[in-house]
Amino acid sequence: MISAFFIFNQKGEVLISRLYRTDFKRSIADVFRIQVVSNPDVRSPIITLGSTSFFHVRVNNLYVVAVTKTNANAALVFEFCYRFINICKSYFGKMDEESIKNNFVVVYELVDEINDFGYPQNSEIDTLKTYITTESVVSATQAPEVSSRITAQATGATSWRRNGDDVKYKKNEAFVDVVEVVNWMGSAKGTTLRADVDGHIQMRAYLSGTPECKFGLNDKLVIDRGAAGLSGPSSGLADRGGGDAVELDDCQFHQCVRLNDFDADRSISFIPPDGEFELMRYRATSNIKLPLKVIPTVTEIGTTKVSYDITLKTTFSPKLSATNVVVRIPTPLNTTDVDVGILGTGKAKYVPAENVIVWKIPRLQGGQECSLSAMAKLTSTTTRQVWARPPIDVDFQVLMFTASGLIVRFLKVFEKSNYHSIKWVRYLTKANGGYQVRELT
Amino acid sequence: MATTMRGLTQFIADIRGARVRELEEKRINKEMANIRKKFKDGNLDGYQKKKYVAKIIFTYILGYKVDVGHMEAVNLISSPKYSEKQIGYLAVTLLMHENSDFLRLVVNSIRKDLHGNNEIDNCLALHAIANVGGSEMAEALAEDVHRLLISPTSESFVKKKAALTLLRLYRKHPDVIPAAEWALRIISLMDDEDLGVVICVTSLVMALAQDNLDAYSVSYTKAVDRLNRLVIEHEYSATYAYYRVPSPWLQVKLLRLLQYYPPSEDPAIRSVLHQVLQTIMNNSAEPSRNVQHNNAQHAVLFEAIGLAIHLDTNSPLVSTAAVLLARFISSRETNVRYLGLDTMAHLAARAESLEPVKKHQSTIILSLRDKDISVRRRALDLLYSMCDVDNSELIVGELLRYLRVADYALREEMVLKIAILTEKYATSYKWYVDTILQLISAAGDHVGDEVWYRVVQIVTNTEDLQEYAAKVVFEHLKAPTAHESLVKVGGYILGEYGHLIANEPGYSPLEQFHILHSKSQFCMAATRSLLLSTYIKWVNVFPEIKPQLVLIFERYRHVLDSELQQRACEFYALAQRPEEDELLQNVCEEMPPFPPRSSALLSRLNKKQGDTEDKRTWIHGGKDANTDRELTRRKTLNQTNGSATSATNAPSTQDVMGSLAGLDLGTADGTTSREQPNLAVGPNIDRWYEKLTFSSEGVLFEDVQIQIGIKSRYQGHVGQLAIYIGNKVPTPLTSFITAVHVEDPEALSVTFAKIPPNVIAPRTQTQQLLHVECKKAFSTPPILTVSFLAGSHQTTSIRLPIVLTKFLEHVKLGQADFFERWKLIGGAPRESQSIFPISLNSAGQLDLPKYRQVIAGHRFNLLEDIEPNPNNLVGAGVLHTSVEGKVGCLLRLEPNKEAKLCRLTVRSTSEDVAKEAQQLLQKSLQADT
Repeated sequence: MISAFFIFNQKGEVLISRLYRTDFKRSIADVFRIQVVSNPDVRSPIITLGSTSFFHVRVNNLYVVAVTKTNANAALVFEFCYRFINICKSYFGKMDEESIKNNFVVVYELVDEINDFGYPQNSEIDTLKTYITTESVVSATQAPEVSSRITAQATGATSWRRNGDDVKYKKNEAFVDVVEVVNWMGSAKGTTLRADVDGHIQMRAYLSGTPECKFGLNDKLVIDRGAAGLSGPSSGLADRGGGDAVELDDCQFHQCVRLNDFDADRSISFIPPDGEFELMRYRATSNIKLPLKVIPTVTEIGTTKVSYDITLKTTFSPKLSATNVVVRIPTPLNTTDVDVGILGTGKAKYVPAENVIVWKIPRLQGGQECSLSAMAKLTSTTTRQVWARPPIDVDFQVLMFTASGLIVRFLKVFEKSNYHSIKWVRYLTKANGGYQVRELT
Repeated sequence: MATTMRGLTQFIADIRGARVRELEEKRINKEMANIRKKFKDGNLDGYQKKKYVAKIIFTYILGYKVDVGHMEAVNLISSPKYSEKQIGYLAVTLLMHENSDFLRLVVNSIRKDLHGNNEIDNCLALHAIANVGGSEMAEALAEDVHRLLISPTSESFVKKKAALTLLRLYRKHPDVIPAAEWALRIISLMDDEDLGVVICVTSLVMALAQDNLDAYSVSYTKAVDRLNRLVIEHEYSATYAYYRVPSPWLQVKLLRLLQYYPPSEDPAIRSVLHQVLQTIMNNSAEPSRNVQHNNAQHAVLFEAIGLAIHLDTNSPLVSTAAVLLARFISSRETNVRYLGLDTMAHLAARAESLEPVKKHQSTIILSLRDKDISVRRRALDLLYSMCDVDNSELIVGELLRYLRVADYALREEMVLKIAILTEKYATSYKWYVDTILQLISAAGDHVGDEVWYRVVQIVTNTEDLQEYAAKVVFEHLKAPTAHESLVKVGGYILGEYGHLIANEPGYSPLEQFHILHSKSQFCMAATRSLLLSTYIKWVNVFPEIKPQLVLIFERYRHVLDSELQQRACEFYALAQRPEEDELLQNVCEEMPPFPPRSSALLSRLNKKQGDTEDKRTWIHGGKDANTDRELTRRKTLNQTNGSATSATNAPSTQDVMGSLAGLDLGTADGTTSREQPNLAVGPNIDRWYEKLTFSSEGVLFEDVQIQIGIKSRYQGHVGQLAIYIGNKVPTPLTSFITAVHVEDPEALSVTFAKIPPNVIAPRTQTQQLLHVECKKAFSTPPILTVSFLAGSHQTTSIRLPIVLTKFLEHVKLGQADFFERWKLIGGAPRESQSIFPISLNSAGQLDLPKYRQVIAGHRFNLLEDIEPNPNNLVGAGVLHTSVEGKVGCLLRLEPNKEAKLCRLTVRSTSEDVAKEAQQLLQKSLQADT
């Protein structure tokens, strides 16, 4: 299990150092600094030296490192690291060197709380916040009561939610955000070489008491089963889902979801934690709808010029629009200057620092099309090298659109008091550096 | 123009300030794009170019790939401004590798800078050449660098750099530098008054002299002279004293240079050298407190000891040195211990007697356990060198004990050395076998094949040893784990000689078989096949275990290894033949002794000691090893020299020798393998020389710059020659070198009385004394080579009038005596006779006074009243030589006025002498034609 936990800054200085077990000395941090931080060749997140494994995650120029001597479950260790990062973000608003330094006492408290003798413990942010506070110390008289409540919660059936009577809202609301990140690699002709969607469903529940929620998606398995008439109550809904059911490759759920029920009939039922949490994560690889099409034409004219002709097309309905579209078009390394002309909207310029032409379009309506033509002038070089032609990269956001086609069919809330609750659903599809077209023909 | 480049400073500050690598890359990409744009647009002034190239250099140094700006760098080199030129050169040396095409563009600019009058430009160019040093560049520019080095107008610092640049070029491309051709010119710079220049030039000379010993032999005298001036006369500027030691680096270099040459024969040089070494040793008699002072002193001292050992191992200096070394090897400082051991190994490798080293044997053995591995290594080398018959058992025993705990890096070498020592100094064969087998079992993995081959050879060739060896091997094999090499030795020896011990209890055939076969499963295929051969031998001698052996062959017939399978099949067939068949017996006949051959071990050891840049002047091992090495080295050197001269001579002699095409030029060259200086020619020179052969003083040579006069005095077989060299020009002649070349040093020795001075002041004369000794009859006169610097470098070679007849002494003989001896000697071959034309005096009469003068000048005693004819002259003399003793010599001269001819007859007890004397006289008497 995790024997030691460190946070390093960019230069390899130790910001946080916690040893959970006695099988390491503090000097193990130096090993990591020498082998990983100061070694620019190392890119693998796991380094095993002898019997010691270092797992590290880089975030905002910090290294979050877990060290173990045993054959630990790597996925678990990384989950722990990312969970820690999320906790920090939630506590301090951001996670960087400054916030860690300013709050190192809290960080140590957290690190001690979420892990005991190397075994990860309760890392639910809301729960943690009840007893690890950044505010002033609670007065002594109240303390015993609070602590007993904490104990009750931590050992109860729903450790992630406070006792039902303590949670009261005037307005019972639940917000569901479906966020999808689409990754795509296309050839110059526009054929798909690889496409997948990473999605997660983020939920904010402001519900009184101890609500029991039920959640339905147009998951293909459920729909098919419903269509076959196996489950009566949902058959009506299945019709509404229509033919565009989604095939989800794998799903991960928040700990509040009853996995037994999911395994039995793929129904998602849970008692939500109070506040914001990530309900589920999923992946889809088939039937991906691409919101943008890129048609590049790149020709090298002799050895002194390269001409670009890039056309961007939207495929979604005119009611929707893509925002923050940024197209990065790589140029040869010996480019001196680029002349850019644009047909349609947006602004483009050559950014020599990154060797790319950046084309920014603030808003692109559905069905719209725009294009760019550019001419890069090259200088002669000492050693003539063939230009590797890296792919063109497109970033964008489309609201109320899911690339996988996922739709939330229903969200039901049952509570003893049977109050009325309001549910909001939002969809967002974005590309984050993984939406690329090859220039090579 | 600003001297600092703000753009560059800003760029560097930005990069330094970048927190993340990505930011740094971004900044650099941006800058590079900017530079590309600027370069493409063109129209940059020098400052901008310089700035951008500097940025490119900085980026390159950071480790980023750069592929623009090369052309701009090339342009910058030809800029007239220093700062721009400097950046240009920096870029060229950094960005371009030695085979880059761009360098071709640079060569001309560099040449221009080399030729320029600005010293700083010269230096920049030299730097570039030394740093890049491609072969093309070396070829194109070596000549110019050399010119810069020897030019009298060069500043000292340019000379220094030029010398080091040449050194660097020579190390990289030895063939582009005509080392022999430049020898005198380069050596003459060792007289520069700037010690810095001398150090640099000495480094260069060291490298060149190693490969061209003869051409650089003049440097010997120079080095001794310089040492003398440094150490004894304290002639150096204060800046060159390092902690009160006068320029230790130069001293070390000079001392090392002297070790490349065989010890000089010249007593003057020897005595100076002795004095120098003595002074150095005295200086460091007591160690000082100051570490730096100590270091400098030790550096010089160790080199001096090395030289003393090289010169003469029996001199009292070396015994002083041995005492000093003894103190050093037990010093507390690791470096001193190391050097002490190393130098002591040198001593042991050269000395006649190992006694002074042996005194410290226990200390040296203790050094094997030193905490520093390099010291341990030196201790091992020393033990190896100092081993002889008396202490071999002790040393080998100690090494064997140490081998078990020695470093892995050291073991292989140790094993080889132990094996060699054991073989070389074995007092008894038993001891040899015991030791080697112990060695094999102790250091199995590190034992090369050569070691056990050698054991087998020796055991096979020594009959008394075979039984004992078989027993010992058997005992060693009893150990639970035996190394493969041991199994191989065991397999061979038991197979051959197992039957000798088979009748003794405990060594029965079955036991032998079991013990060997139990080891076979852990062995490699090669060893197993050797064991199969052993088994077939046993089938022959031990019929009682034949079933077991045949079973094994049977099993091995199906293994996958083809070699093993083949052996098994063949042996199986051989073993299955009927009892009375004699084939098996014939096949398994005992091995005949090996033909004696030299040990492969030594060559293996020598191979391991690769030559480094600075070649060692000795090798580890006893005295014999070193003398052997000297011989082979001389031989190869002569061979290369011979081939070199024949190669250079061939084209020039082609025309003359065309008619003698059948003649083997190689043999001719072989006899005159030493290079002959080219003689100066001129009608006067010959006349002066002729005159001096029969007179004791006169002018030998004269031209516009110098005049050389001679005064001589001879007594018996020795003589003294005073050479007067006069400077006729109003400037001093510097770097004055005089050297005497003697064709046959066995017959004639000519040495300077003291080291000649190297400067002749304007319009003055110096005198140099030469000691001459005649050992045997000789025919070629010695050659005096004078070279000096007067504006340019000049060399003149002239014959010295030292001829055989100079060593004649008068004898007085009466008429009877004369004719008795005359007849005693008899005719040819001990008579030499010739008839040649003579000149008459102005009156048309025989010029008898002149003949008399010539004959007397040749130191014959003119005998009166012997011949009836007054015109006939008779002379007698005795030739004194130190080796061949005295040789009598008689002469008759019969001139004939009418025919204008004369007959000269010389009779001598030695035919060589008769011929030589006759030729010399004839040359002096003959009429000018």
